Formats: sequence, structure tokens, C-alpha cells
Amino acid sequence: MKSLFAVALGILTAIGGFLDIGDLVTNAVVGARFGLSLAWVVPVGVLGICVFAQMSGRVAAVSGRATFEIIRERLGPRMAVANLCASFLINLLTLTAEVGGIALALQLASSVNPKLWIPVAALAVWLVIWRVKFSVMENVTGVVGLCLVMFAVAVFLLGPDWGQLADQVFTPSLSDGENLAAYWYYAIALFGAAMTPYEVFFFSSGAVEEKWTVRDLAKSRLNVLVGFPLGGILSVAIAALSAIVLMPGGVEVSSLSQVLIPVAEAGGKLAVAVIILGIVAATFGAALETALSGGYTLAQFLGWSWGKFRRPVEAARFHLTMLVLLIVAVGVLMTGVDPILVTEYSVVFSAIALPLTYLPVLIISNDPQYMGEHVNGPVVNAIGTVYLVIIVAASAAAIPLMIVTGAGQ
Amino acid sequence: MLLTDLLDLPVHDHNGDRVGWVCDIRFRIPARPAASDSGGVASPEVVGILLSPRRRGSYLGFERTDVHAPVLLAWWIRWRHRGTCLVPWSDVDHVEDGAVVLDAQYRRESPLLSR
Amino acid sequence: MSTSEHPSTGTDRGGRLIDARLHLLDRQILDCDGVPVATVDDIELSGIESDGGGTSSAPRIEAILTGSTLMTRIFGGRLPRSRLHRITWDDVAEIGITLRLRVRSESLDATWPERWVRDQIISRIPGGRHAPD
Repeated sequence: MKSLFAVALGILTAIGGFLDIGDLVTNAVVGARFGLSLAWVVPVGVLGICVFAQMSGRVAAVSGRATFEIIRERLGPRMAVANLCASFLINLLTLTAEVGGIALALQLASSVNPKLWIPVAALAVWLVIWRVKFSVMENVTGVVGLCLVMFAVAVFLLGPDWGQLADQVFTPSLSDGENLAAYWYYAIALFGAAMTPYEVFFFSSGAVEEKWTVRDLAKSRLNVLVGFPLGGILSVAIAALSAIVLMPGGVEVSSLSQVLIPVAEAGGKLAVAVIILGIVAATFGAALETALSGGYTLAQFLGWSWGKFRRPVEAARFHLTMLVLLIVAVGVLMTGVDPILVTEYSVVFSAIALPLTYLPVLIISNDPQYMGEHVNGPVVNAIGTVYLVIIVAASAAAIPLMIVTGAGQ
Repeated sequence: MLLTDLLDLPVHDHNGDRVGWVCDIRFRIPARPAASDSGGVASPEVVGILLSPRRRGSYLGFERTDVHAPVLLAWWIRWRHRGTCLVPWSDVDHVEDGAVVLDAQYRRESPLLSR
Repeated sequence: MSTSEHPSTGTDRGGRLIDARLHLLDRQILDCDGVPVATVDDIELSGIESDGGGTSSAPRIEAILTGSTLMTRIFGGRLPRSRLHRITWDDVAEIGITLRLRVRSESLDATWPERWVRDQIISRIPGGRHAPD
């Protein structure tokens, strides 16, 4: 159990990044529409986030500086502010979606109107942020979130035609009624979901919260290598379930309950119950991650005292920011807007935030003033540079594609 | 005078022609004699201004340090900011409103920060 | 988090060279206990007159200034002096990847906004004074 807790930060970061409410539904949509022909995007995204999260974790452990502090120090005011605005909006939009997602998941469990769950969910998130220690928070949500492994189990329980699935993966082709623009839009959306900047903000700030030092570099690496690939595997599993069960019938996924159909078919009520528990934990974890990231981003940019390891009175503006974020999220949700629709628009801001986040990380992890002898090796630099090019390309293509396809219609 | 008043100012030579912009100011932290230990850091003194041929200054500093990684980026930034040099403060004639004016004979030294 | 656990960036007893934009501006200022105070937004230099002459001895840094300079750094212009909080250079203990002071954050003007939010808002919410458990 103890070794499981050691990688809890990585698992929580990955869950909040890959398996939050927006991604759960997106993966199901992708599976239903494209089968597994977009599965190649996931390993590409996972490798990217592993490399960069490892870099930012190393920077945090060696220098004690979390990622957004570095962005402020190295990018100059204009670009850093652009990143701040984009990242802060992503955090707010995603937090809104997550709180809504918790309510939707609880509705699945209890059939009570989600609008009634929304204030409860927000209050629960607030109480955890206010009163629960960081390590307890990450351990509980990380472990309970592992219930999502049921998605992978369900794939095996369905006994699918592996040959056909492999075919879809290795020879991607467009199914009837789909066009190339939509295919690439979803490719970028999946890539962006894997490499969402707040994963790095959260991971590096979490490293500072846990007070990692040079001695913890191996632990940082383990967290990255366990958490993110697991997130990737489960992403593909959700798409596979949709591909097996929903695609043949041409069923379109548009709500959370449809994500459960294949699971019910695979394992019945027990499987569904486990999955719902996992979804509640995942959306709750994602809500915590995005709320905290919102606080970290603003506080680190402006130089405020921050951290859950400090008492609220010692990090006053940091805690106030998160309180305000939650209140705004509840306000937006109470207007009845669909939380999942909300996350689709965060793709726009991701396009801005991605290059402006990963460039400073790559630069600082080579700077001996910060890193001493722990600067990047040439292999990591090569991979990082290649990914930076991919990220810039994806960012440039994201908004035009979004307009052309009407956000993936 | 505030630092941000000096940064990004155009730099003119003695004839009034613009030779570049102030992209940064270099300081030296003087060594403190061991005897006087009131602790803390001695007040840094200005060594010179960093003159750049481009208006947008470099925040990344690859042209001034010997950090060579990541390779492609470092090479690109160095190329973009080639021609950056250090002008010692003694070769600065005066600072007027909106420009820095250099002496008739001013030296252009290497911008590298020695370690 | 103690900075002595992290690699040193050079002693302060040599003639160390630093560049203002690279090494000073936008850096975090920490107090003697490591609590974040603010960021370096500007630096006050002595020994330069804005209209000619006066460069006989090298100008020195007198103080660090901090304030809400976000808008002016992006769009240009200058905040009035009264809105910038001044931290005299004598209070600086160490320059590394952050600037460490010799005094506590409580005693500085620059930390007024944090103290206000703490006293007026956070401490009024139940549980604000306790460490999380």
C-alpha cells in the first residue's frame, strides 16, 4: 500500500488530466465515431507528457521552483501574461466542468437531479482544499480513482475480435460519414488532453508541496512512469469499449450515461457500480487538481505565498483565489449550461497555453543556475525539442480546425 | 532613476546616430571584506549596458551564457541576437530623457558572463 | 523549504556578475523564513541623473521596488512612485535563483495586501487558522 501511495501524485495528476469528465466523454465519442483509428495519438501524447512532467518534477525537486514561477521568470511579461490568462481560463472552465461532472456522476448513482448535487459537490471540494492535507488528498483520490481500471477489465470481459481492433489501430482509416478535418480535430483534442498544461502545474507544485528534493528524483520518475501511461491505457480502453459496442450500431455518444453502456454489457451492475465510484473519484480528483492549479497559477505568477502545506492564514490570497473560483463555477453551472460543452471551448485556450508552458520548462531544465548538475541529457533535449515543434503545429491547427468542423460535429 | 527607465532606451553614439537599444544592465556584486560582516549582500554596482541591435530584448540570455542546450533553440536565439555587446559604463557619456548617449570612443566588449 | 539543500549559484564574496533582466527582474523575493513576499518589479539606482553628467562613479542599486506593475509592463507607462513598495538593499541577505531578505515579511509594506486578505477574509472563515489535517 505504501508503495502505491508513493505514486499517488502521478496517478492523481494523470486522472485529472486524461480522465476528467470532458475526456471520459471525448474518448467515448472518438471510439463510437472513429473506432480505434485515433489510438495512435494516445502514446504520442503520453510520451510527451511523461518527458515534460519529468522535467518539471526534476526542476521542482532540485531548485524548489514550481512551473509557473519559472514561466514568469523566463518568458518576459507579455508572454507570461498571455499564458496566465489562457491557463487561468482553462482551469476555470475545466473546474466548472468537473464540479458539474461530479454532480452528473452522483446523479447516475442516485437519480437525484444534478442541480441539487452541484452545491454539495462544490462544498465537498472546498472542504477538502481547506482542511485536508495534500498527501491525504492525493492518496485517497488516487487509490479510489484506480476503480477506473474496470474500463480495461471490461474490454477483456467483452471478448472482442482482437484482430479487428488491431486492424483499426494499425491501419487507421476513416469510417463512413466522417471527414478528414473532424479526424484531425479529434487527434489534436486527444493530444491536447494528454498534454494539458495544468497537469504540469499541478505535478510540479505537488512536488513542492511534498517537499521533494534531489533525493526524490527517482520517486518523481516513478510517479511519471506509472501515472501517465496508466491514464493513457484507460483512455484507449474507453475508446475501445465504445468501438466494440457503440460503433457498429452507429450510436452517438453525447452524455455520461452512454459511456456506461458498454461497461454494463461487459460486467453488469457490479461493473457499473465500480465504474461510477471510479468516475466520482476521478471527477472529484480533477476538480481538486484544477482548483488547486488555478490557485497555483495565479499565486506563482504574482509572487504570493502559496501552498496547502501552509495554513490558510499564511497563504491568504491563494486560498481566496480558489474560493472565488469555486463560487464562479457553481454560479455558471446553476445557469443550466452543459458542463461537458464547456470543456470543448477550453481547446482554444489550450492552444495558447501549451507552447508557452513547455518552452520555459525545456529551457530551465537545461539551466545550470537552477539545476546544478541535474540538467537534461541530450536524449531528453532531443525529444523535448521535437515535441515542442509538434505542440506548436498542433496549436496552430487547433483553432482553424475547431472553426471548420464546428468543434467536431 | 529606476531600472525600467533605462531598459529598452535607444542608444546613440556621439554623433546622434542610433547604434542599438539597451537590452540589459550588468552589475557586479563587489567582494565584501571578511572583516565587515554585517551580513547581507553588498550593493551591486553598474558595470555596463548591454547593447542590442534589436529592439525586443532577449529574456532568455543564450547569447550571454555558455549554456548550449537545447541545441536548436540556443543556436537560433544566439543568431537572432548576434551583435549584442557590453559597453562599459565609463564609456557612457550621459543619460538623457529618451536616450542613452555614448562617448566618442566607446568599446564593444564581449557580452559573455564569465563564471 | 531550505535553499541550502539546493545547488549554490555562487558565493557572495566574489566579484559576481549579474544581469538585471536575466537575474533580478521578476525573481521571487523571500523573507528570512522563506515565506514568499513579492516579485522584483523594478530596481532603484543611485548615481544617474536623467539630464546629463554625473557618471564619475558607478551607479549602485539602492532598493528593490515591488508593486502592481502588470499593466505597465505589458502596455508601457510608469506607476507613480507612491504605488511602488520599496525594500532597501540593506535588507537583502542572498541572491540566488530567488532573493532572500534578512527581515520578516510582516515588517514590510509590500506584504500589506496579503495581510489584509488574511485579517479581513481568511481568518473569519472557520478553520482558517489551523493547519490542514
